[in-house]
Amino acid sequence: MGQLLQFTINGLMAGAIYALIAVGIVSVFKATRVVNFAHGYLIMFGAYFYFTFAVLVPQAAWAPDWLASWQPGWMMDMREGLPMFSPLAAVLDWLANVPRILLGLAGALLCNAALGLVIERTLMRPLMGQSVFAMIMLTVGLISILSGSAQLIWTSDAEFVPSLAPNTPIRFALFGQTIFLFGADLANMVIALLIFAGIVLMVRYTKSGIAIRATAEDQSTAYSMGISVPKVFSRAWVLASTTGAVAGAILATRNGISPALGLFGFSVLAIVLMGGLDSYLGVFLAAMIVGVLEALTQWQLGGEWAGIVPYVAVLVVILIRPHGLFGAKEIERI
Amino acid sequence: MLEIDGIEVNYHHSMQALRGLSLHVPDGQIVALLGSNGAGKTTTLKAASNLLHLEFGSVDAGSIRFRGQDIGRMAPDALVRAGLFHVREGRRIFTEMTVEENLIAASYALDGRGLRPAYDKVYAFFPRLAERRRQIAGYLSGGEQQMLAFGRAMVACPRMILMDEPSLGLAPKIVTEIFTTIRRLNAEDGVTILLVEQNAAVALGVAHYGYVMEHGRIVMEGDAKKLRDDPDIQAFYLGTGAAGNATSFRDVKHYKRRKRWLS
Repeated sequence: MGQLLQFTINGLMAGAIYALIAVGIVSVFKATRVVNFAHGYLIMFGAYFYFTFAVLVPQAAWAPDWLASWQPGWMMDMREGLPMFSPLAAVLDWLANVPRILLGLAGALLCNAALGLVIERTLMRPLMGQSVFAMIMLTVGLISILSGSAQLIWTSDAEFVPSLAPNTPIRFALFGQTIFLFGADLANMVIALLIFAGIVLMVRYTKSGIAIRATAEDQSTAYSMGISVPKVFSRAWVLASTTGAVAGAILATRNGISPALGLFGFSVLAIVLMGGLDSYLGVFLAAMIVGVLEALTQWQLGGEWAGIVPYVAVLVVILIRPHGLFGAKEIERI
Repeated sequence: MLEIDGIEVNYHHSMQALRGLSLHVPDGQIVALLGSNGAGKTTTLKAASNLLHLEFGSVDAGSIRFRGQDIGRMAPDALVRAGLFHVREGRRIFTEMTVEENLIAASYALDGRGLRPAYDKVYAFFPRLAERRRQIAGYLSGGEQQMLAFGRAMVACPRMILMDEPSLGLAPKIVTEIFTTIRRLNAEDGVTILLVEQNAAVALGVAHYGYVMEHGRIVMEGDAKKLRDDPDIQAFYLGTGAAGNATSFRDVKHYKRRKRWLS
């Protein structure tokens, strides 16, 4: 029992990241009925863009020194006499990185948004009006193009990238148990949940959200309301690629950067199928369930089982409810 | 307002749906387009609102002009914003959204026109929608859904409405109500209307002018009053002319007359 809470919390933190990735797949599917198999590779590009703007650019000879490491006088004063691993030292380390973290995030968001737009404009839009299956196959082809070009562009070895929040260890008691976490993991979860909630609220309560739902329900009627369906499509792709950029940055800080990041998209695709392709609520629950199951399996059975048990659960759910936990019934089978 | 000249429409490049159809809808009028099932009425409206390509159809000859402008290169949503609104067959409301959200969706038609959506006007026109504004539209009755479809058209502030079978599946009392609404939209707001109907009697009751189509082309046209009095129209569409003397000889004649129409 002692560790249950600790591992559950670890699982929830992982689940929030899954949810952040899943939101991109769901948004594209809702608007365009396309299951984006290449979403993981959009995330990988987001990670590489973050690496470029947070590590490579600040290191460049022409970049100002404060970009690589911001050391104003007051910070040096505070640092005086601090013990090595004090929380304050960790926060100060993070503060010194803030300029490049912000540059990294901004660069990753912008570049990934551009990438999403280019994909939508050049590959998806010409196929509008054709079978959706053609577009889905196209995203499969996109996988090779994206992973190949990433290896062409970023030849240097990926280094350590700065985490989004100070990575101080946090220790606190909950129900008599001592829980131990890292500040960066907690911050990542908060960021992921905020973005997820923001998107859900946007879709539910704003006028653009109504346009997305109208397009999702009935494309031709959305047209006859004066809604520009192609615009909805490109917004969905931008939404997917920008949330993917944040997810990529987070994954890069957690697991490092490699072309294998793209594979992450496939496990999240399974989660999305479990939740129901077009249901934000279902996908959120599925992400959390898989996250927690993964952590608990790791705890009880060891790391080698962690990759299997949650996905067996996914399969069982899909067998019992083929359209997912909360999915609409008439979903395209893939 | 709307001029359709000699259009030919094919689906999947092989099935011909319209063959040289022409019709004109003048400003401020209600024009009825009558015809039996499969005559191509709905296809005509979809051609006019540029929705055909979504269903693998294309206009391969002829031209369609809305307010003098060729619509061939206009996106369907741009056409709506230019003031041509299509109330689709089967109402096509967004069933998963609330009544209010359905109306908000239609306010996209006002983008770039400097108009504010007049939701209050819709609710004043249809008090029943006001009562149900926060309900999921899929749970409305058929008549209420038709009101919602009209409400969306009113929010969109169109110059012209293409109206496809507004009486479909509705009780006679509701049909009367719906057609009163159509007449009011035309008289009070000056909206031009192209009305497709199976129910020829009611349609010719509100229309100024009428067209009759069969097998993808216009076979007859004229003032609504003239059409109402035409013996062929009475026999084929109004179901009154042949009443009382349906002899076998008459059936032969009926067949011949119809054949003459289709040739």
